[in-house]
Amino acid sequence: MQKMFANLFGSIGRELLSFYRSEKFYFVLGAMAIGAIIPLFVSDYVVGEVLTPMIIFTIYASSWNLLAYSGQGSLGHAAFLGIGGFASALLAIKLGVPPIFCLFLGSLFSAAIGLLIGLACVRLKAWFLAMVTFGFSVIIVTLISQFDTVIGGIMGFPTPLLVERGLAFYYMTFALATTSIFTMYLLMKSKMGLAFRAIHENELEAKMIGINTAKYRLLAFVLSTFFAGLAGGLYAQSIRYIQVSVFDAYYSFLPLMMVVIGGLRTMEGPIIGSVIIISIESYLPRIDPIMQGLMGPLFPSVSNVGPPLRMLSLGLFLVIVVIFFPKGVSSLLHKIHNYFREETKKANNIERK
Amino acid sequence: MQKKLIAIVVVAIVAVSAIIAGWQLTQVPSSEAESEARSIKIGLVACYEKAEGQDMDRAAKMAVQEINDAGGVYVAEWDTNVDIELVIVDTEDDSTGKAVSPVTRAVLEDEVDLLIGGYTSSGTLADQVVAIENRVPYIITGASSSLVTRRGPQGNYGGLAEDNQLRIEDEEGMSYMFHYCTTTADYSKTVVNFFAESMKPLLDSTYEFNASRNLRLAILYRDDAFGKGVKDDSKAIIASENLPIDVVAERAYPATATNFQTDLTAIKDAKPDAVYVVDFIAGTSEIIKQGQRDVGLNTVYIAVECCEDPQLYTLLGEYGEGQLLESKFAPYAGPPFYLSAIETYVTDYQEKYATLPGMMGADTYDAFYIAKDAIERAGTVDKAAVRDAIESSAIDQMLIMTETGKVEFSTGVNYHEIAPVTFVEQLVWNEDVGECRSVIVYPDTAPGVGTLKQADFVLPAGYQSGSP
Amino acid sequence: MSGLVETLLWGVVNGCIYILLATGLNIIFGVMKLVNFAHGQLLMIGAYVAFTAATVFGLNAYLSILVAIVTIALIGAGLERLTFRRVLGTDKLNEIFVSLGLIYVFENVAVLLWGNKLKQITSPFQGLGLSLGEVSISYDLLLAISVVTVILIALFILMKKTKIGLAMRATSQRSDTSMLMGVNIEKVYIFTFALGAALAGAAGALYGIIFPFNPSIGALPTIKAFAIIMLGGLGSIPGAIIGGLLYGIAENTAVYFLGGIWQDAIAFALLIIVLVIRPTGLFGEKGE
Repeated sequence: MQKMFANLFGSIGRELLSFYRSEKFYFVLGAMAIGAIIPLFVSDYVVGEVLTPMIIFTIYASSWNLLAYSGQGSLGHAAFLGIGGFASALLAIKLGVPPIFCLFLGSLFSAAIGLLIGLACVRLKAWFLAMVTFGFSVIIVTLISQFDTVIGGIMGFPTPLLVERGLAFYYMTFALATTSIFTMYLLMKSKMGLAFRAIHENELEAKMIGINTAKYRLLAFVLSTFFAGLAGGLYAQSIRYIQVSVFDAYYSFLPLMMVVIGGLRTMEGPIIGSVIIISIESYLPRIDPIMQGLMGPLFPSVSNVGPPLRMLSLGLFLVIVVIFFPKGVSSLLHKIHNYFREETKKANNIERK
Repeated sequence: MQKKLIAIVVVAIVAVSAIIAGWQLTQVPSSEAESEARSIKIGLVACYEKAEGQDMDRAAKMAVQEINDAGGVYVAEWDTNVDIELVIVDTEDDSTGKAVSPVTRAVLEDEVDLLIGGYTSSGTLADQVVAIENRVPYIITGASSSLVTRRGPQGNYGGLAEDNQLRIEDEEGMSYMFHYCTTTADYSKTVVNFFAESMKPLLDSTYEFNASRNLRLAILYRDDAFGKGVKDDSKAIIASENLPIDVVAERAYPATATNFQTDLTAIKDAKPDAVYVVDFIAGTSEIIKQGQRDVGLNTVYIAVECCEDPQLYTLLGEYGEGQLLESKFAPYAGPPFYLSAIETYVTDYQEKYATLPGMMGADTYDAFYIAKDAIERAGTVDKAAVRDAIESSAIDQMLIMTETGKVEFSTGVNYHEIAPVTFVEQLVWNEDVGECRSVIVYPDTAPGVGTLKQADFVLPAGYQSGSP
Repeated sequence: MSGLVETLLWGVVNGCIYILLATGLNIIFGVMKLVNFAHGQLLMIGAYVAFTAATVFGLNAYLSILVAIVTIALIGAGLERLTFRRVLGTDKLNEIFVSLGLIYVFENVAVLLWGNKLKQITSPFQGLGLSLGEVSISYDLLLAISVVTVILIALFILMKKTKIGLAMRATSQRSDTSMLMGVNIEKVYIFTFALGAALAGAAGALYGIIFPFNPSIGALPTIKAFAIIMLGGLGSIPGAIIGGLLYGIAENTAVYFLGGIWQDAIAFALLIIVLVIRPTGLFGEKGE
């Protein structure tokens, strides 16, 4: 039976097979089960404002992560988040494209722009790429503002919904996220993924063994911006509004923080990072009044110390993670997992004796 | 090993689900009929990052405390007085991403009975949708775009094109929106009429200009819905009322800009008689200062009413001398004030907070009293009944003057706006205080009050007119 | 048009501030091959330090510049030691991540300590200036240009005539060879970073005298400084000087003719155009 599977789907089959046999499979299954069940037990508010954003930002963070696999760190990914959002919304509104295709076409559009920007960027060193991508996210605000009569981005506008808000939207997002991440997983296991890793590790050597580094970097760019655009389309639907503030630097730094804290260049990193950061942003504000009472007198120049303290902590968190835990929280979890595995082995050994 | 893992994972899922389910069960959902008396929850939607938001916060807290100290709100349905509980809804910088979430939480989790506030137009247009869908009365005290009440069928969609997504079809939901604020059209009208009726004659006589010479106006505005709205409305009113004004320069800058020297230099080249500055306090104060100090553009600047706040006077310092401010609430133009209610409010606010109140707080303060009055007349906190009660408000004007002297939300018309009276003040340097204070220079009278004007408009010292 | 002349002057002043920032960045990059995206935040803190020196301790605005220089140099040294040194040699992206975290740290520390409202350092020459016909030139602008010139000359002397300058130049050429020749690389790194930071602090103090500032003003100048470095060529100080001036003038002229909304976008548009036409910048990369 297994042999038939493998023969039919060739290398994809092989990949799926090895995955099925691995330990990871159970973790993934467990995570998916939790993700599928939790919404049924929490309030509408939590589903819509906490869980759904977690899933959407997982896609977004993963898209950034995909780019990072190839050694490219974009500081302007918000541009593509926003492009995806505006494109999918406008396609539905102005051109009457059926909702089913809007998200996909919006993502394609984002990828197309990603191709253009990528062409300029792929030969640049890491820091230049970061800067150019950031610059792009600044310019795009001005560009969209110039076409305000057509796009209406300055005031913004409500986005047409594909599915009703609430559980239906959550599950649609969840399905899309699972598909996206799984796709990325397969991509990274393929020859292309190997090329990405090779380029990241040592570009010169990669070139020497004949890898067309520019081509693969461009490919990473296009794929990354495709998924970022998808996340953008979903995000626009989730907050039911799209406006130029989606291009703010905050949205460019979010995926970076999520990925680095969660675990750079791992599949689970973006997921972990998204959960952590969205939780912080959703729940920590509730202790703002307490913080204001405690620390307010220390900082008389501010009327609400909550937000700056929170952002300060995130920044410190990021710096500490990069210096002391370069592989992020994910590496911590692996260590814990290995610890338990060792303990179980020892226990088993003792049992046998 | 794998079996153990599966077992662990399954147990974990079951355990987590059980805990969450159990916790959910302890959250008793609110029943349909509120048979038990409880405090009234009112959400204050304000952006705490800005001075205006902090002013709204202080005013709201003062209103709530006053109402509660005086016995609270009498709810006939429960036959008792209950307190108002203030729920803070901080929209941080009021960008759409940050505005929608807190309001959603307030409506769905905190289950507020009513919302008061709103700051920017785009932020409010985004966050009001939650209130519309959940039928929560929202007294909007910020947001100068008239779309907040007119975007539905009853407002003829505010003139929006058919495919414009800002349109809302939910007529019922839109009926819960109330705009207790001025629109860009309202105050632009006052400003341009001031220039035509008050300033132009003064210029003509001082400089012996030909009567056919139009007043040269420059508009320097922030590049967002607010700034563009004012610019467009001003130009439209100038055209439709055939006012003797030429807009010789119109320049936009990014909302986050802090350096305006080059824009001001370009405006200087256009030789204006006056500059209409459309921005909030931070930008406006910098423009007025930089224009005079750094660029030598010694003209007269007029600011928009949202700048009516103690901070403006402090930031401007001596550079405010002779400058203009369009307003509808003037805590600095007195004592004696044009309205006795203002005297009480200013004194109380100052006692409590050691600073003077601003305009957005005044709107907010009034709104709480409007809400109290409405709930008492409705006799219940049922949102539909409260909505009806607000709609039929006819209390006397409080801190904000209206054309009729009463707070009425456009009786006879289905979208809920008030008809506020706006005026123009001029800033005068006050040696004792070390800051400017203001006097009302236009118009002469207001319907509910009588004489409004406190002094004549004079050209600022060192004023240079535009070219002949 | 007198306005255009004044605009050009503002452009030169802006350019001078950019020059200081870009030069600092260039030195750090040239010697350490390190990229610090939080450089602009050092400018911002420099402005606040000078402000505090001027208001709390009553120092003259221009003397406050010295206070800012010293303080930011110390902060820079601390940064190098505590954070950047530990990621030097690891994944190139780590520097970017650390910088980003530092941006949030600096900005929010500034918000907590000083608040969000715009501040400005009051200069003794405020409102005073020369009048040449219709054009008015404020003394502060002229002083700013002079201060920058003095600093650049001092920098030149430092780099060409002192031992540490020689060590820095040697390290920027070949760090391994320099090590063999007895150059203490660690000392050179700390000094370099401190020097770059000091320049940013000076830029900040000057900025604070001429323009209002708040905790967020550091973000865009960093990007523009990077753009200038690319225009002028990595590691080339003359390139940074010319690039900085050109940038400041271009930016202001664009605003004059097209309006404030194009201010930041023009900067990047310029950058992207240059990159496409000449990927090594206008002056090319300095040879190794």
